[in-house]
Amino acid sequence: MILEAISIGLIISACLALFLDEAVYSIAALAGTFFFTAILYVANGAVFVAIFQFAVGVGTLAILFLSGEMLSEKPTKKTSLKSTFALIGAGVFLSLPAIFLSVSNTNAVGPDVSFGDALWNLRGVDVVLQGLVIMTIALGIAIVLYEKRTGGK
Amino acid sequence: MDFVILSLVMLAIGIYGLLTKRHLLKVFISIELIATGATLNFVTLASAMGKGLGEAFLILAFSTDTAVSAVILALLVIISKKYHTSDISDLVQLEDNYESEDEM
Repeated sequence: MILEAISIGLIISACLALFLDEAVYSIAALAGTFFFTAILYVANGAVFVAIFQFAVGVGTLAILFLSGEMLSEKPTKKTSLKSTFALIGAGVFLSLPAIFLSVSNTNAVGPDVSFGDALWNLRGVDVVLQGLVIMTIALGIAIVLYEKRTGGK
Repeated sequence: MDFVILSLVMLAIGIYGLLTKRHLLKVFISIELIATGATLNFVTLASAMGKGLGEAFLILAFSTDTAVSAVILALLVIISKKYHTSDISDLVQLEDNYESEDEM
């Protein structure tokens, strides 16, 4: 029952993030999406991934709030309460198939490998380091683009 | 409760936003929703198979997703500052205007 409620919350917040006119509210709804996703990760037994999702999500949302404020023009008409409730209803409706239908086989197959084993014995730590390298490159690109825009001042 | 269908619904919402929304920030949010659906599916299948390696690869996926987000946001802010608009339709019109000026 709790998982169903969380999944409904996930879909509703995703709909709100996409359809709300005000950028800040939209990003706040995206924060809700990240939060509900992290809870679903914990429900699936992936606690480390949930922690990583929180860490990454907080950084992404902080930058999104800043850029959202910079990018947003004030909307000409505010989202009415009626359309907000319509969005919530659409979210509930969209989450019904996930609750009542079933296509996946959730039986455990294959050997049970713990997260620590995957990191240290199956070279998973290499994967994490690759991720850090890619992230560093991306930050470098962002800084180069910024310098290009300001003329290196 | 089926997480695969849930991630498919997330994917559908993201693709719908990608196709219909014209504001650059909404397009970015749509991409984030698609990535969320994909990672949710990844976690579900990894935990169903009982393999921790899936979680390790998922952390790589998160890092890549964050890197892509950083680049997209940097480009988004630059475009918005340069052209004073964050609407895709306006940007396409600007490009058409540049092309017509080049032809003249």
